Amino acid sequence: MSMSKKYWKGLPELHNSPEFQEQQKNEFAEALPMEEFLSSDEAQASGTSRRDFLKVMGFSTAAVALAACETPVNRAIPYVVKPEEVTPGVANFYATTFYDGHDYASILVKTREGRPIKIEGNDFKGLLHSGTNARVQASILGLYDSARLRGPWLNGGEATWSSVDQKVATSLAGANIRILSSTIISPSTKAVIAEFIAKHPTTKHVTYDAISYSALTKANKNVFGEAVVSSYDFSKAKIVVGIACDFLGNWISGEEFSKGYAKNRKVSKENPDMSQHFHFESTLSLTGANADYRYMVKPSELGKVTAALYNEIASATGNSKVAGDTKIASPDATAAIKKAASKLVDHKGKSLVVSGVNDEGIQTLINGINKMLDNYGKTVDVENHLNLKQGDDKEFTDLVAEMASGKVNVLITYNCNPVYTAPASLKFAEAYNKVSTRISFSQVLDETSQLATIICPDHHYLESWGDANPKLGMYTLQQPTINPVFAQPRYEGTRQFQDAILKWSGSKIDYLAYLQGYWNNRVFPNQGKYTDFPTFWAHSLHDGVVKIAIRKETPVTPLPQDSTGVLMAGVATPFLESDTNSVAPTAEAPKSKKAAEAVVVQNLPTPDYAKAAAMATSVKGAELELFIYEKIGLGNGNQSNNPWLMELPDPISKVTWDNYITMSPIDVKAMGLREMLRQDIDGSIVDLTVNGITIQVPVYPQPGQAPGSIGLALGYGRKAESLKVANNVGVNAFSLLEIANGTIQPIATKVSITKTGEKHRFAATQIQHTIMGREEYLLREVSLKEFKNNDKTYWNPPVELPTHEGGKQHVSEVDLWAAHPRPGHKWGMSIDMNLCFGCGACVVACTSENNVAVVGKLEVSRVRDMHWLRIDRYYSSEMNTRKGKEEGLGSKEMYIEMENPSANPQVTFQPMMCQHCNHAPCETVCPVLATSHSTEGLNMMTYNRCIGTRYCANNCPFKVRRFNWFNYSGNTDFADVNPAQQELGRMVLNPDVVVRSRGVMEKCSMCQQRLQAGKLEAKKAGTPVKDGAIKTACQAACSTNAIIFGDLNDSESVVTKERNDERTYFLLEDIGIKPTTSYKVKVRNQDEQIIFPEEVAKAGEHKQAGEEKHS
Amino acid sequence: MAAVFTVFFFSSGLQAQDGAKLFKQNCAVCHVSHGDQKLTGPGLKGVFDRAPKGDWLTKWVLNSEKVIKSGDAYANKIYGENGKAAMTVFEGQLSPKDIEAVLAFIKAPAPVAVVAPNASTAQSGEPVQNGGSIEPLYLLLGVLIILAILLVALRSVRTSLQNTSNRVEGKDELPDVTFWQEVKNWISGNRRLVGVLSIILIFVGMKSCWDACYNIGVYYNYRTQVGYKPEQPIKFSHKVHAGDNEIACQYCHNSVEKSRHAGIPTVNVCMNCHKGITTGPQYQGVEIGKIYAAAGFDVKTGTYDNSKQNPLRWIKVHNLPDHVYFNHSQHVVVGQVACATCHGDLKTMTVAEQKAPLTMKWCIECHRQTEVSMQGNAYYDRLHKALKEKYAGQYDVKFTVDKIGGLECTKCHY
Repeated sequence: MSMSKKYWKGLPELHNSPEFQEQQKNEFAEALPMEEFLSSDEAQASGTSRRDFLKVMGFSTAAVALAACETPVNRAIPYVVKPEEVTPGVANFYATTFYDGHDYASILVKTREGRPIKIEGNDFKGLLHSGTNARVQASILGLYDSARLRGPWLNGGEATWSSVDQKVATSLAGANIRILSSTIISPSTKAVIAEFIAKHPTTKHVTYDAISYSALTKANKNVFGEAVVSSYDFSKAKIVVGIACDFLGNWISGEEFSKGYAKNRKVSKENPDMSQHFHFESTLSLTGANADYRYMVKPSELGKVTAALYNEIASATGNSKVAGDTKIASPDATAAIKKAASKLVDHKGKSLVVSGVNDEGIQTLINGINKMLDNYGKTVDVENHLNLKQGDDKEFTDLVAEMASGKVNVLITYNCNPVYTAPASLKFAEAYNKVSTRISFSQVLDETSQLATIICPDHHYLESWGDANPKLGMYTLQQPTINPVFAQPRYEGTRQFQDAILKWSGSKIDYLAYLQGYWNNRVFPNQGKYTDFPTFWAHSLHDGVVKIAIRKETPVTPLPQDSTGVLMAGVATPFLESDTNSVAPTAEAPKSKKAAEAVVVQNLPTPDYAKAAAMATSVKGAELELFIYEKIGLGNGNQSNNPWLMELPDPISKVTWDNYITMSPIDVKAMGLREMLRQDIDGSIVDLTVNGITIQVPVYPQPGQAPGSIGLALGYGRKAESLKVANNVGVNAFSLLEIANGTIQPIATKVSITKTGEKHRFAATQIQHTIMGREEYLLREVSLKEFKNNDKTYWNPPVELPTHEGGKQHVSEVDLWAAHPRPGHKWGMSIDMNLCFGCGACVVACTSENNVAVVGKLEVSRVRDMHWLRIDRYYSSEMNTRKGKEEGLGSKEMYIEMENPSANPQVTFQPMMCQHCNHAPCETVCPVLATSHSTEGLNMMTYNRCIGTRYCANNCPFKVRRFNWFNYSGNTDFADVNPAQQELGRMVLNPDVVVRSRGVMEKCSMCQQRLQAGKLEAKKAGTPVKDGAIKTACQAACSTNAIIFGDLNDSESVVTKERNDERTYFLLEDIGIKPTTSYKVKVRNQDEQIIFPEEVAKAGEHKQAGEEKHS
Repeated sequence: MAAVFTVFFFSSGLQAQDGAKLFKQNCAVCHVSHGDQKLTGPGLKGVFDRAPKGDWLTKWVLNSEKVIKSGDAYANKIYGENGKAAMTVFEGQLSPKDIEAVLAFIKAPAPVAVVAPNASTAQSGEPVQNGGSIEPLYLLLGVLIILAILLVALRSVRTSLQNTSNRVEGKDELPDVTFWQEVKNWISGNRRLVGVLSIILIFVGMKSCWDACYNIGVYYNYRTQVGYKPEQPIKFSHKVHAGDNEIACQYCHNSVEKSRHAGIPTVNVCMNCHKGITTGPQYQGVEIGKIYAAAGFDVKTGTYDNSKQNPLRWIKVHNLPDHVYFNHSQHVVVGQVACATCHGDLKTMTVAEQKAPLTMKWCIECHRQTEVSMQGNAYYDRLHKALKEKYAGQYDVKFTVDKIGGLECTKCHY
């Protein structure tokens, strides 16, 4: 089969220059330094002749062999008193909650012998937020971060808790106190803060999110009278329009939205309906890469796009238009707005328009659009809103002004790092130093805590009690999965924020008692399932989540206390009673939905869309504009000391360990910057000046970046010595954020770039593993129209080989070897390319599950990354063979023509791991049988047998085998980046999986340890393995179920059904390797033709001709 | 070689012996049979004098709760005295006859433990060296040396005899060649034989090197059957526990059916019994005292001090390399392999030692021979059916572990 599009894995492949071709011939990306080693001066100077070398060599080999004869004495140290729930060797799972002020997830934590080793999503029924993204998956490593503080600090030195408490007590008395935190979604923590405020009435709590959604809440206040974040249901949206909104990645709750969005992307012959997604943005985001239609607009035009869309819809629905400059440079985008608008109007109530720009004007217009489209209560819900992202930029800037004027005496920072994240124009650090008592609850010595006078390190979330109320009516609990890692007597220890605040409020009870009291008072009375609190508590802890029918705001008030100061003592005060007693404004009797609506309607303000439009279109365009975005890996940078996230390739650029300017290749060429033959080789460093601040940043040519604009990612450029992984990696883009229209904006227009002439080495993971130009056999895709109107042979033709009789035979019937039976299990995997959005959660999950080594930037740039699972990202190109033929180009001219990079490519993500070929090319070349095939259909890799010839890697058509060039778990060069080398970090290792040593090959084992464990469970229980009982780590991490794993011998299993689906095909099937993993053809909801019938025929002819030539 | 003989003398014959066994199995965790020391329950010395006469004791043992509820004065008195901790209900587990046997045992005079006088060196717990018999290899070497001496002697005898005879016959004396010269001459005369012999020698040498490599780090000697036997921090005897007292392996190694690890008993498991059993037959409580030290237990007051806890650092006897995954529960529960199959008869071992080589060869040999019991386990149904079809018509086909993939690399290495 053939397609009109050619895919290429990066610019060098597209350019196909002689140097690149030369590179491709090499087995390894760079020459081995043998010559260098042998001819080095050092070696010369030492005067070691070959003979001497062999002598020494021989002696040392003999010495090592002799020394190895004696096995060291191994100790086995059992518990003194074994905890009842712990059985050595058996994992326990605990439901808890992840929330770091930025991401929220309800999770299950796998613990072994009392230490957490893996995070899984909590797929408790009915839970919306059950997905885990890459950051949540990686958060477990934060627990074992050796940069964590071991005890409190006072005035720049370590101190004791008693001295700190004493100091705080004297500082708090009569002071003007401010608490600065990121959004708190824990109702009990809010109550704890209310207790503190009750005790110290001069306190004010300011909420500030590093990545602000302030405009969104403001817009909801403008339109609906409530400053909240609405909840979105993408599963009901048939037409989605995104305006610079990364809702499949970082926006509010990406994994939840992905899950809903995916429901409308799973197509089959029986159910061929699919949502259509239009996207307007400047920097190619994960969401833009998955859109059916994506248009590039400059950052300053984002507001204009919104206003234009508003006007189109307003005229179609009979509403009044707004004034303002809605002219967009790109004619494509202008036409697309009209098209999108008409489709949106056709799908009233079944559509959704979202924007991620933190601008009040844009967000208000978006609300107006969704209102005109009748989407409220259907795809958007303000009433059942989310409680995330409550930060208020105005409050924050006011606080900084107040601090600068010296009016604040005590500033408590919790779960935020404003010295690092505040825009430079605010001069936060200066204002911060004017506060006399600066209390930080940071777990590490970060930018803010370095300047603090008192540091009270908080527990890690896996050591903490807590709760969360992410959405109205949904409560989740957080429980410790390990005793505090840093505790008495060895260390002064960490202490939970809530405990500290309770103590400083004069409370006599600890936070756990308070939390239980809170739930007893405010959650338990509002559920009808359990009649006594202990049972309710136990079940809630077990499930991790409670849903409450009465959806109303919980009042943020201190809890009622009895005369002794002990809270409620097990008395379940009903929610309503405590409400009526309290003075909280939200204390109203529970209202029926209708009544609630009536109240809302009464209070509704009249939204001023004209003003909003003026605001949205106020940004003046410039020659060069900057859009600051959030990366999948690092998010807001609070986890940037996590090597797993640093090494996670960016889904789009595939660059690791860096942030950089993304620039359109057209602009790169025009500016005369280095176009980079290979992405892992040098790029240019430029001086970037934004609003008078100049920083040096490398430039990365990024197709899909709107010409005339550049992008820069947040989360890098940490300046904290103790953060060994993150310190000085990349540049800090937070400082470039601007405050406009009262919000912190990601758009800057006063931007200029000057060349420095310096070079920068990137470490990108893609390009080195090319698939030899046979993309046709790797990436099948079809437009929805073609998919509907034609049968399978048209868009997913069988791979047939010509026979000597002139007929055709399916490739699976052509076989040199006798087939091996698979009598027991026959494991198989199916990957739906329509559902894979490239988020990378699976990559981190795989790293965590399989003890995959972190190798660091230098080694990645030498193409020695170790990820067992990677996500290949393919760009499309405008030129293709059909077009070349039509234009009468010869193949050479055609490829030269292909050198012109597609300005706005279509993107496909393809998770790539070992395909477990049933005729595996790697197996036949191993001289020591270290890789062989199992009766269950898996390709096995035996590390202890491997001698490191690397023939297998050379022979693997998918390039998924990874070689241990170094002993990453022992070589001191990798001590800073490799968790396996740190006393603490190695606790995260999965004890069921070997840590590979130097000189052996490794690859995806299909989570063999999970298969064996699952089979053993079934054998012990005497039942067949249930479908779904065994999940691979990548499958479990995928929130859209793009990866399905199971037993193909089980006719009822999901994977068997997927395998029989018409969209299923195998990669490189034509070379007869018979992969175990299948993929499903990607369907794009676009009108444009993707497959051209003559090509299908031609591909066959070509093949035949090729065969004849060989014979 | 060395053994501890613990001999019990009973006056009331067979019944009491049964009673002793039953007592150990059911009662000893909470009661001392012939003392007044209090464990969870009171010591039973003089119980027949204090308790109501008749079958009260039998009723009490069968179902103490019932007796208490019936309002029995003595029952409620002792219930109160013992912190209102209810005694286990044995109704259904023990028959009245069993209880009679137990009571007979308690009534009988205390058993006396006698230590066999021949307890010798091994009790020190040190690794036992090979001793006694001479290795065949040394014998061979000795014979070779004697033969060599003989050869030299005979040669000189032969030379002098030849010379004497030559002298008598008036011939020239033999040239005075050295022994070495003569050997060389012989070699040059028999090149083919020497060549073949040396090739054989080289191959034998290589083979033995190869074999020796396989035994690197293997604490096992095929000839002497003596394995790795390190001295443990406590001179724990499996013989006393598993052999003489017939404690089931799983009582202490209690995760063997659940986990990959059989589990080394935690100190609290030891304390279940040793809270009451303070002296042993061999060391008079010195070794048991180490358990108390680890648990932070004060024998005199019967209290624990958690701050004095100190875990025991046992030496692991059965070591597998890190790249091997072995799961006890797989073998014990699914494979129904007896502990002794791999660990030897620990009931006779004073000091635990490694009995099996634990090499991959040994694993594989067993996997080749052991049949999988597929009957009655629904997990195997599909596989069994498929295998039956595959081997249909063949005789003597055994569904051994290797037939279901038990020799595949990643079943144990991942």
